[in-house]
Amino acid sequence: MLRRYLVKRLLIAIPSLLIASLIVFTLPRLIPGDVVVLMLQEKAYAKDLDELRAKLGLDRPLPVQYVEWLGKVARGDLGESLWTKRPVIDEIGQRLPVTFELAIFGLCFALLIAIPVGIISAARQDTLSDYLARSLAILGLSVPAFWLATLLIVLPAIWWGWRPVTGFVEFSKDPFGHVTQLLLPAAILGIATGAALMRLTRGMLLEVLRQDYVRTAWAKGLAEGVIVMKHGLRNAVIPVVTLLGTQLPQIIGGTVIIETVFGLPGMSRFLFDAINQRDYPVIQGVNLVVVSLIVAINLTVDALYAVLDPRIRY
Amino acid sequence: MNLSRRHLLKLGGAALAGASMAPAVARAQTPKRGGTLAIRTWDPPHFDPFQTISYKTHIALSFTHSRLLKHKAGPSVVPGTFPVEGDLAESWTQPNETTYVFKLRRGVKWHNKPPVNGRELTADDVVFSVNHFLTVKGNANAYMLKAVDKVEATDKYTVKFTLKEPFVWFLDMISNPHAVAIVAKEVVEKYGDLKKPESVIGTGPWMLDSYRPNVGLSYVRNPNYFIQGLPYIDRVEATVDEDNASRMAAFLSGKYDLGWEFPGTVNRVDWVQIKDTLKQKRPKLQTVEFPSPVMSHISMRTDQKPFSDVRVRQAMSMAIDRKAIIEAVLEGVGAMNPAVPAALKEWSIPFDKLGEGAKYYKYDPAEAKKLLAAAGYPNGFPGTMCFTTYGSTILVDTMQLVQKDLKNVGIDVKIDQKEYGAYIATCFYGKFDSMTFGPQTGFLEPDNFLFGQYFPEELKNQSHINDPVVADMLKNQRRTADPAKRREIIYDIQRHLAKQQYYVQMPSGIYIAVWEGAVKNYGPNMGYDYGGRLMAAWLDR
Repeated sequence: MLRRYLVKRLLIAIPSLLIASLIVFTLPRLIPGDVVVLMLQEKAYAKDLDELRAKLGLDRPLPVQYVEWLGKVARGDLGESLWTKRPVIDEIGQRLPVTFELAIFGLCFALLIAIPVGIISAARQDTLSDYLARSLAILGLSVPAFWLATLLIVLPAIWWGWRPVTGFVEFSKDPFGHVTQLLLPAAILGIATGAALMRLTRGMLLEVLRQDYVRTAWAKGLAEGVIVMKHGLRNAVIPVVTLLGTQLPQIIGGTVIIETVFGLPGMSRFLFDAINQRDYPVIQGVNLVVVSLIVAINLTVDALYAVLDPRIRY
Repeated sequence: MNLSRRHLLKLGGAALAGASMAPAVARAQTPKRGGTLAIRTWDPPHFDPFQTISYKTHIALSFTHSRLLKHKAGPSVVPGTFPVEGDLAESWTQPNETTYVFKLRRGVKWHNKPPVNGRELTADDVVFSVNHFLTVKGNANAYMLKAVDKVEATDKYTVKFTLKEPFVWFLDMISNPHAVAIVAKEVVEKYGDLKKPESVIGTGPWMLDSYRPNVGLSYVRNPNYFIQGLPYIDRVEATVDEDNASRMAAFLSGKYDLGWEFPGTVNRVDWVQIKDTLKQKRPKLQTVEFPSPVMSHISMRTDQKPFSDVRVRQAMSMAIDRKAIIEAVLEGVGAMNPAVPAALKEWSIPFDKLGEGAKYYKYDPAEAKKLLAAAGYPNGFPGTMCFTTYGSTILVDTMQLVQKDLKNVGIDVKIDQKEYGAYIATCFYGKFDSMTFGPQTGFLEPDNFLFGQYFPEELKNQSHINDPVVADMLKNQRRTADPAKRREIIYDIQRHLAKQQYYVQMPSGIYIAVWEGAVKNYGPNMGYDYGGRLMAAWLDR
């Protein structure tokens, strides 16, 4: 059953990806004005307009261009960056791990805060710790990441002369330095998600804890820990996983600012630079990778439902 | 700095030496070899100096490439002046008005990297570089050497330039850090162009050791540099740092040896906030202040109504409250600019010598309204103003004040905000219907400001000016070799332009150049030549 469900979900993902690829391919071509003229004037990516159009494959009809592009994408060829003149796939391959690490660290941070605090907040409803946790969650949701990042970088430098952890340390050169440099940006990245997840965990857990079977568990004289963690949390966590699925793309989106502020050479910053450079092969390539990632995340979340709740079979 | 705002304003364009600057002491010490200098830099779009006007590329290459001539650097050079000295050229002569002969240094070696592998530089390399600069498509700087008719190697160490017509700025142009970087033919042939970091091979004081996109560039000392003993500094670590808070914090904690903004400065807005903290944390910091050559202006279609009427243009200039702009957006410290920015102190005319036209730079909305009425616009007129933000809050604030000032005299401006690329491709090159507002490149010599913007049919003649009087004077100054006489012509041009107001010039900010006290024998100045300014500097940590 589970396998059939997963295969079904995988099959649904294919048209999603195709539609997404069509959008990724078409959008840059819908920008008003002749972008190629601008690119040539600003960046001199080729000797003349015809050469640049040919270089970008724009000298053929749109459907032909799309099919050709899709064929190349299927073979792992995302074209060549006009800016760096290196294959887009290599450029992304170099930068994706940084963004991925940052997003995973951010997510871990969010979960590490959200789940325990959400549980405590629900289990100790309307106590001081609950009020405090809820207030902090509202704060976490309200504070913009770029502002928090700015403060956390500037204030320690002014007060204590601390040098901010900016710039990039490669893992191969200094594994410890590499991990530690990601902690602060990941924490900032994870705060808003953590706050949202915490509130949802608390709310869902409160609802579950009022169910009859939980009352029965209390009546049986089970320990609080067993009731909350075993009977409560597992049933409360499904909407949290759903939210996690929607929060991950947000975390990836947030990396644009965080990578810029902390000087991390990730994919999001690469996309930002590519937009500034009008490097369309890169813009298409990065967007395609991001879209694919999001489809994959949603697929994983759907699969997780099935694992968490055996009743889900659609 | 112990100078008041009032004092600075009064001095206008004067370059101001910082109280803490002590060049005499620096010279008295014996230079030390070694150490690493850390600076903030910008990620170059690519490394081909002939394919971009981007300062990001030209700054990066200022460490690695040589030119025929260069601007003298060091504490003895007054910021805003650009004395010319030999770089690859040991000496040069000018047999007649249109011929220049350069004798190259002997034994200059290319960086020891393939495909040149440290071979000797010859006159053929210079000829190749100049021809490549002039002929390669996409070189927006090629106009700088438009006067060159031909360049030839008369022997292994001699290069002869023949110009089409006299052009007295020729030496200044080839000294400019964004003119001809001397490159090797083999490198261009091997890589097709010079965009890749592997193609960064020059004869300059440092060699590119590594480039990590979005992270930074590392340079190592060129052991075979043609000036023996130089450079003193072993390594230069240039960090790409795109966030202002991060840059500020890094500077506060001592990460960077030079101010983090171009060209080794700190923005006044930031400076005001952190100067007291800096006094405690980095007490040895040195500062020098001098006006920025970057000047914004309103350009307009002077070939069409209503801007074809000089009274309208004069009214627009008188409507602008420049002092209020300085107060509001430049922290009260700025320099008033005639047609040549005050930053170029040898060429910019002082306001007290401007004559009749000086009054049009004074804020006088009542007189502006009278002029508009006399021109047939008693109620003003509507117009559009093409604009892009350049990501600068200073520019956005200035634009809003300009809009407000013009509205006060009846000129109802609708801002047509464009994306940066679209702006550069259209309005920056005069392709607009009404008006444009924006900054101009901070050139280092007056000809670029004047000829490029006022000579008929020039690419950057944004206001579509066709004034035979100006055109004659512009041609004349290009033929006047004697600097004093040329200055008089350039002053006359500025006097004439003050009355015509083809562009309405805004004030410029005053740079605060900042550097760590341990960096000795360093003198800040404008321009992209970071490498040139640091070549003879040394570290006393």
